[in-house]
Parts: sequence; structure tokens; C-alpha cells
Amino acid sequence: MSALGREPWREPPIGLLAELTHRCPLACPYCSNPLELTARERELSTEEWLRVLEEAAALGVLQLHLSGGEPTLRTDLEAIVARARALELYSNLITAGVGVSERRLEALAAAGLDHVQLSVQDVDPEGCDRIGGFKGSLARKVAFARAVRRLGLPLTLNAVVHRHNLDRLERFVELALELGADRLEVAHVQYYGWALANRAALMPTRAQLDRSVEIVKAARERYGDRLLIDFVVPDYYATHPKPCTSGWGRAVILVAPDGRVLPCHAAHTIPGLDFASVKERPLSWIWQESPAFQRFRGLDWMQEPCRSCARREIDFGGCRCQAMQLLGDPEATDPACTLSPHHGRILALAEAEATAPAPPFRYRRLETVAA
Amino acid sequence: MSLSPEDRLVLARGVRVRFDPVRNCHVLLAPERVLFPCPTSVEILGRLAEARPFGELVAGLAAEFDAPEEEIARDVQALLADLVAQRVVRIEREAGA
Repeated sequence: MSALGREPWREPPIGLLAELTHRCPLACPYCSNPLELTARERELSTEEWLRVLEEAAALGVLQLHLSGGEPTLRTDLEAIVARARALELYSNLITAGVGVSERRLEALAAAGLDHVQLSVQDVDPEGCDRIGGFKGSLARKVAFARAVRRLGLPLTLNAVVHRHNLDRLERFVELALELGADRLEVAHVQYYGWALANRAALMPTRAQLDRSVEIVKAARERYGDRLLIDFVVPDYYATHPKPCTSGWGRAVILVAPDGRVLPCHAAHTIPGLDFASVKERPLSWIWQESPAFQRFRGLDWMQEPCRSCARREIDFGGCRCQAMQLLGDPEATDPACTLSPHHGRILALAEAEATAPAPPFRYRRLETVAA
Repeated sequence: MSLSPEDRLVLARGVRVRFDPVRNCHVLLAPERVLFPCPTSVEILGRLAEARPFGELVAGLAAEFDAPEEEIARDVQALLADLVAQRVVRIEREAGA
């Protein structure tokens, strides 16, 4: 029995999100990293990451997402990829693709990298530079994508969309086809961390959202045989909330650059939860028994209307972090849900922000790092 | 989807199939996706690491499982249609990929 007096959780995680570093050449205002970024000195060592991979594989993790920040800033990335391959983990490099040479990419492919996910901030060069805060970014990304395809690696383009680039969504599809990408992720911004701080600058109008749904539908019909398109809608406009990360502590385990283990990117925003580090505890204990991971598993924590809802095991009441951020109560029904008594207020907020002039971006910078 | 014996079938780019000792079953790993294929699908997928004509695939399975080719062809075609629709298996026709 755990500290909460509950049975250990026996379902294994599917994916490990390894945030290797918070360092990044880009400064996207919707970054999923926390506002308090971790400095390089506090990052896990190579040996610690290799041990985390061993523990993750033994726990049942199947896919390894190498993320950040910019994971290629870790000079030990080849060693990490090679260990993943040795452990039969499926490795996915999530990169901005602006500072990665073809030689580096060759070395990663040789180490056994399975897949590359490349972020494209905008298909317009100026827009791409302005959103990422990096000059000449689009040309570098295109060159990187071509190198990925030359090496025969599968490629996903990740397009985070918002009010500033949504009107060019068709051109994102065209770029994905032109680059020979296998997948395109069209992901409306989810409002946590930096994105929450920039919500008024990013929130699309309902009309922009509706149009993006139409564009994705048409592109799937026309290019479905060549390009797989995944689509994530902005949940402020949703009917039902998203089952965030497929439910708290159910499918995903995230290891932050300093070794802290979380069920998702934003879980640290919920007060009163103690997230253990891989430096102190085995990953299996953290996943199966730690009070923080057990906190929102099962259905007992739920309030009404979730508790008696027919969808309670489909979306698990939505996102705990969003309930915390918007309502100050991590057990409340996610206000993205139309059944939440607060939904109307949240929707009105989104609509008001989307139609007001966009304020300037608050860029994600490491200077704001907490010691 | 209708397959001719000459149609070549191959695992889609980025797809791997392996046995998972933790879950005690085969898993199919693809970009941002994990599937748990049925034993018959595992049998088929295991033969498609390199491109293989549909006719040869059917003949091989018919020999191994000692079943009539027409019956195997019908069952395998249905399973492959599903795997192609899920973009896990790719069909290479005359013009190439």
C-alpha cells in the first residue's frame, strides 16, 4: 500500500517525454516549458539519463520522445539515442531544426533514431522569425527537413497554430507535401505555461477555428493517401474537454531536465504535490506509488458533474492543470467542458481576447531562469 | 481496396513491430502511435520488413498454415485493407512508392 493507502498502479506508461534541456535557440511565446526554466548546471548527466531509459524500458515504456528546450543542444544525444535503440525504445526527436548540421543528423540516424518531428512556426519567413524570435529560421528548417528525408528518416511537421498564422494553414499543408513529410500535426495552442501568459496574444477567433477545421477536413480528403494529419483543437471553444495526456498518470511520464518526474508539462502548477526526482527514487515507484501520480487516478477525487457523468472514463474530467489555472481548484470539472458551470465565462474570455487587438508577445527566454 | 498478386506490400516508413515482455504481447510502434496488433496481423507484419508481392505473401502463409490459398487470400486481404487504411502498411504498385 502506498502513502495514500492505495494499491500501486499496475498499468505501464506508453511514452516517456524526456525533456533533456530547457536551453533553446527559439523563444516561442507558447512554449510548453514552465515559466521558471532550469539552468544548464542543474541538468541530469549523461549517466543519469541512460539510467532513466533503462528504468523506463523495464517499466514498460515503448516510445521515447526526446524533447526540451532543444534536445540537440545536448552533446550526448547520440549516446542517449543509441541506448534507446539498444533497449528497443522507439525514439522520436522533437526539434526546432535550426542549428542541426547534416553530419549531426547522420550521426543520430546511425545511432538508431526512429523519427523526427520538426516544428515550423510559420510558412511565412518573417512570421516564422517573429514567432520563434530567431532570424532566418524558416530557410534553416526547410534545409533540415530535406536532410531528414535524404537520410530516409520519417518526418512529421509540427505546426502550432494561433491567430497569427492560422490564415496560412493551407500553405502549411503544401509545405508538408513539398518536403515529403509523412505526418503533419496541426496543433492549436494549449494554454499552459508561456502560452497562458500569452493567451491574449495567441487566441484565435471562432471563425479562424471553424475555418481550420474545414481546411484540415479538405486536406485529409485530398491528400490522405500521402499525408497523415493530426489535429488538436483549442479547448476553450470545445464541447467536451480533452482527456489530457490520456488521463493523469495513465499513458505518459515526463522527466524534466533536472530529473523531476511529472504526469504532464503543467502538473507543477498544482499546489501541494511533491514531484520526486529520478535522483532520489526509482522511476517505477514514482509511477506506481508516488502520491503525486496517484492523486488524480481513478474516479474518487471527482466532483459533480464529473462524478456521475457518462464520459467520466472518456475524458477523466478534462485537464486538472486547467481546472487549477482557471478556477483555482484542481478537482473541479475542466471549464473547457460545456457541463462546467464556469464554461460560459471561459468561452466569453476567449472570444473577448480573440477579437481585441493582439498585445505584444512575452517571449520565452532563459534569462528569466530561477537560480 | 483490391490487391493483385503483383502488388508489393511493405511496412510504412517508421513502423517497427516488436515483442513487449512487460505486456506480454507484440506491439506496433509508429510515429506518435502505438498499436497492439492481433496475432494474425503480427504474422503478416513480420513478413513485410522488406517489400513482398501479395501473391508470395499468401502462398507463404498458405504453406505454413496448411490452408487453401483462396481462403488465406480473402482473410489476409481484409486485414491488409485495415493496416493500409491505418497507414501501417504501404502498397507499392508499378510506378513505385
